[in-house]
Amino acid sequence: MVKTQSFKRQQEPPDLTGLVGMGFILLAMMPLVILPIASIFIFGFSKGPVHFWSALTEAPALHALQLSILTSAVATVCNVFFGVVAAWVMGRDQLRGSSALIVLISLPTAIPTAVAGFALLLLWGRSGLLGRFIEQTDYQIMFTTAAIILANIFVTFPLAFGVIKPALDNLDINYEAAAETMGATRWQTFRYVVLPSLRGAIITGALLTFARSIGEFGSTIMVSGNLAMRTQTAPLYIFAKFNEGDIESANAIAAVLALISFAIFSLIMLTKGRWGRWGRGR
Amino acid sequence: MRPVFNTKNLGGSSFRLYTALPLFLLTLLVLHTSACRRQSDLVREGTITLYGFSVVKEPLEREIFPGYREEWKQKTGQELTFIPSYAGSEIITNQIVSGVEADVAILASARNADRLVETGSTKHDWRRLPHHGIVNRTAMVILVQKGNRHRIRDFADLGRKGVRLIHCDPVSSGAGQWSLLAVYGGTLLRTGRVEGTRNPARAVETLRAVWSNVVSTPGSAREARTQFERKEGDALITYEMEALQLLEKSPDFEMIVPPTTILAEHPVVIINHPRHGLSPARYAVVELFVRSLWDPPAQASWVRARFRAVTDDALNARFAKIDHPFTVADLGDWKVAYQQVIEEVWKRQIQTSRDDD
Repeated sequence: MVKTQSFKRQQEPPDLTGLVGMGFILLAMMPLVILPIASIFIFGFSKGPVHFWSALTEAPALHALQLSILTSAVATVCNVFFGVVAAWVMGRDQLRGSSALIVLISLPTAIPTAVAGFALLLLWGRSGLLGRFIEQTDYQIMFTTAAIILANIFVTFPLAFGVIKPALDNLDINYEAAAETMGATRWQTFRYVVLPSLRGAIITGALLTFARSIGEFGSTIMVSGNLAMRTQTAPLYIFAKFNEGDIESANAIAAVLALISFAIFSLIMLTKGRWGRWGRGR
Repeated sequence: MRPVFNTKNLGGSSFRLYTALPLFLLTLLVLHTSACRRQSDLVREGTITLYGFSVVKEPLEREIFPGYREEWKQKTGQELTFIPSYAGSEIITNQIVSGVEADVAILASARNADRLVETGSTKHDWRRLPHHGIVNRTAMVILVQKGNRHRIRDFADLGRKGVRLIHCDPVSSGAGQWSLLAVYGGTLLRTGRVEGTRNPARAVETLRAVWSNVVSTPGSAREARTQFERKEGDALITYEMEALQLLEKSPDFEMIVPPTTILAEHPVVIINHPRHGLSPARYAVVELFVRSLWDPPAQASWVRARFRAVTDDALNARFAKIDHPFTVADLGDWKVAYQQVIEEVWKRQIQTSRDDD
């Protein structure tokens, strides 16, 4: 008997190789990534959820979280704004200086965060290059919230730009050309045609910057002054609590930071899904 | 004629969000405290910012701050707020030199205090305070895991093979520097006593042997205690008060008081910057607080945290007796001791040759 080929769409057998591959990756991630993160939650709840909650709602802890969120948000806004403007201004043409400019913009990621913090101190500190003039005035930059924001801006500088520029470069130039034929000025083209298409990239860039910024430690510890309830960010709080031996409080905040990061990256994935590939708008 | 671009039905409404959100954040930021303006004296009235080395946190926050706030309220009807920050002594000294807004500093050693004066961070003559500015003292001792497997009795025993030693980082913590002086000075003075003349070569040898066993150098005394508590080493050289606090918390450890050991003395300094220092009114408030650190209530608080009091030796009755205590004065003074022991012996001789052993 000849078995006739059925062209009916059949249920595909499960891709075994794919599943085994994923399983292997998960296994490799266990000791490197998954278990460390799990330890935070295991230790955090080892004395019960009530203890966890009271450690979390302690005034210095809440202030630290709120300060981290505020400073990261401000840094994110600044860097996203810069990223959009820089990407738009550089345009798609390979201008002569633009590759050099891109390297310069990307420089902060190559610098160790402690060095970045130290550099800021050298510039804005009491005897710093510019700080010595600020010293004479009523204003102070180092060891204030402003210093934390400056440090965050520095270390997360190219993240948003790095996401927005490729998205902008990939936009179909025909839309902008069409708008120009319809009489749009550069600004109108930018606001009504380009920007909405960049929405996905802007949000992704913003979330990346925020996530990186909220966990920033090396530069913050140099420039912040570390005053609880005033200039102590969440990572600094964790560090202080750990050094004091108060592991429970350190754990509570660490768990919250981990959850925030998890939420952010889930949002990034959702954005990609909802708004399609970066760059293709509406 | 150039057409006019009709934007009526276009989207781009998210643009308003892009501008609204930053403006909102900016408003929040401006309203946020400690944004950027150096706080005027009027705003800082009623507050005292204190930078303290790591282990003074508990007695200050549990007893001394609340006690003094209460006393101040009764005397003047005013509310007083303390704004503290704690870290290794060298770290807070560096912070103050870099310009943090501190009013008072409680430091682990007179060397840090002198550095604040030398760098022009304060013009306060702190040695004029009671007891030469020293608020409390504590001996340098050895903590070991229960059972004292290596039979440690003295600093020299820490050089024995197989001992895993935690030693506070002398670069960032006062406790680290006191530990170095304890080991070196202890050996030096012991040879002086037993053999008639001090033997610096033996002291260097002992320090070198001890340092070959160091497995970790945490940045502050408190950090070191946390590491030791988690059993990351066999022994730890630390403040007597840290050891006693740990023993009261857990039975898994023992404290060894070496026969010859140094008494760490901790000074307090008012941070009165020559150019934008404290107004006379605020200086008076801060100085009253500082002087209260020698009053019976505060000294009792220090003792309850297991520091040794400086005003009345009767308060120290329950501490272990040290056979041959010495202070940094017996090694010259901090300048001499730092130069000879920490710079010359530890940094130059021992640290640079660690890999050759």
